[in-house]
Amino acid sequence: MRNRPAKVNKIRVKRGKLEKREAMMGVLFCVPWIIGAAVFLVYPIFTSLYYSLAGVTVDSVNGIMATPLNQIQWNNLQEKYVQVISHDQNFLPALLDYLVSTLVSVPVIVVFSMIIAMMLNQKIRGKGFFRMIFFLPVIIVSGPLLSLLSESSANTLSVVDTQTITGAIGSFLPPALATPVTSLFTNMVTILWYSGVPILIFISALQKIDTSQYEAAYVDGASAWEMFWKITLPALKPMILLNCVYTIVFISSNDQNSIIGLIKQAMISGTDEKGYDYAAAMAWIYAIVEVLLVGIFALIFMTRRDKYEKQGKKIDRQMRRERRKVLHIQRRQARHAKRYHRPTVR
Amino acid sequence: MAYRGRHINPQRFERGQIKILLILLPLALFMALPIVFIINHAFKPMEELFAFPPSFFVRNPTADNFTKLLKFSRSAGIPLTRYLFNSLLVTLLTVALSLLLTTCASFAFSKIKFRGRNLMLQINQIAIMFVATAVLIPRYMVIANIGMIDSVFAHVLPLVAMPVALFLVKQFVDQVPDSLIEAAHLDGANDFQVYWRIVLPIIKPAIATAMVLVFQQVWTNMETSNYFINDESRKTLTFYMNTLVNASNGVAGQGVSAAATLIMFIPNLILFIICQRSVMNTMATSGIK
Repeated sequence: MRNRPAKVNKIRVKRGKLEKREAMMGVLFCVPWIIGAAVFLVYPIFTSLYYSLAGVTVDSVNGIMATPLNQIQWNNLQEKYVQVISHDQNFLPALLDYLVSTLVSVPVIVVFSMIIAMMLNQKIRGKGFFRMIFFLPVIIVSGPLLSLLSESSANTLSVVDTQTITGAIGSFLPPALATPVTSLFTNMVTILWYSGVPILIFISALQKIDTSQYEAAYVDGASAWEMFWKITLPALKPMILLNCVYTIVFISSNDQNSIIGLIKQAMISGTDEKGYDYAAAMAWIYAIVEVLLVGIFALIFMTRRDKYEKQGKKIDRQMRRERRKVLHIQRRQARHAKRYHRPTVR
Repeated sequence: MAYRGRHINPQRFERGQIKILLILLPLALFMALPIVFIINHAFKPMEELFAFPPSFFVRNPTADNFTKLLKFSRSAGIPLTRYLFNSLLVTLLTVALSLLLTTCASFAFSKIKFRGRNLMLQINQIAIMFVATAVLIPRYMVIANIGMIDSVFAHVLPLVAMPVALFLVKQFVDQVPDSLIEAAHLDGANDFQVYWRIVLPIIKPAIATAMVLVFQQVWTNMETSNYFINDESRKTLTFYMNTLVNASNGVAGQGVSAAATLIMFIPNLILFIICQRSVMNTMATSGIK
């Protein structure tokens, strides 16, 4: 009777040999990447979290050192964060600015690249050439090139008179709303340049759509407009979220970003109040805001889970519940048997 | 969609294309402007560089800026070729390694089931969001502890695991149909063969895209030279160009910086032109509907 509970445990589905071997292969394939990421990404990121909470001490022998565990002021962990949020005059406005401008420009970039992608998927002359041109910004946007261009103000629309547009917008919108919109117009070129990779991703999704679907819709008398809403858009939907995330990340980690400049400044300033811990706290706040931004877009564009998948999960849950119940009953029986010393019948 | 190979251009010109061309052409011009600008900017003589409003095209092209750049580099102790060699070595190593690791990992993450897969993907997601500059000091400590300061690997290893590249490539591997992989397994291929013979050829466009992006990152990276390398002769060309620009600050610096920007930009353009063909093919030829 003693070994009864052990037997019960075996009800849990054990992974088979084949599955185990497959999992091993999976791990094997990612091990190099995992090691690289763990040493040079994950570990530094979490160390920076520790620094931002515990603070760093700078001494002339060891250079920068984290405060050792026994000297941490446990009740004052959030000190740096409070400093960043409430005492820094530059950080919070910059963050707010970034938040608003990203919220405005991401939909513009995604919609623009979707339109361009659909055009580039039509039958037109010189399609290859156009695709190349529209992918070209990828090599401009990242790197020091962009700073040179913005220095010489080549990234503002000098062809179109932006002043009149911004003036017109400012006249009928409240200023709080008008600023992001007008900045959108002045930075139009930069926004267009960000759309290289999104266009590419959209094109690849468009090519996945079966042309016979369009033919069938055409035979049934659907207009191009209807086809767009019923066929093209649903097929593109997962890519929309992907592109939103990509664009947000791209904008946020760009060298042109003012917040990154602030972080860099704080890091090398080396004063008492602003040091590496301060910069780390800034970076963490920034990362959290970024995650929130991505979350907002994910909430809007999340594809609904498949009905079957949902049902499968439900059944799974039910089975687990039943299994637990069985386990519970078995255990109770074992307990009773022990308590009342009933002779076991073999 | 039938296999059309590389012939993505239609053979005939149709009237229906005109309206689309009308929209695309100006935008395409717009997109190409910065490159024209960079090339023009490098050949501008001094008075045109400071002209206001800044002119777009050069009127009297001179190679003055380049000769100035050469003069500066000759006065330095270490020859330019040394920096060039460093840069090429570092970039080649990093791009090759990181593409290999990224494709391997994304294949495993998207097509093989194993425990902890989702957790790792989430960690990757967080790493994407995190500012790279903020991890500089912990990174420095890691490198110092391993004893890699001043070695080539100090340039290479920090950039090898690039979360954005994994994010991008994985999306493409996700689109590789499972049935193709199953078929390969039935025919007796092991996982490595599936990766090498099936997944890699299919995701070629993604690899080309990632290559352009990773190359960008590595080629223009100055942080590794700045912080992880003390030996002057082991720093990269980007760093050197930057010091040149800074050293010749002021009025003369503008011309030098314009020339340096063009020189740094040309490899980008060359790689782009090489890669663009396979990038543009996108995933049209996945083999299965």
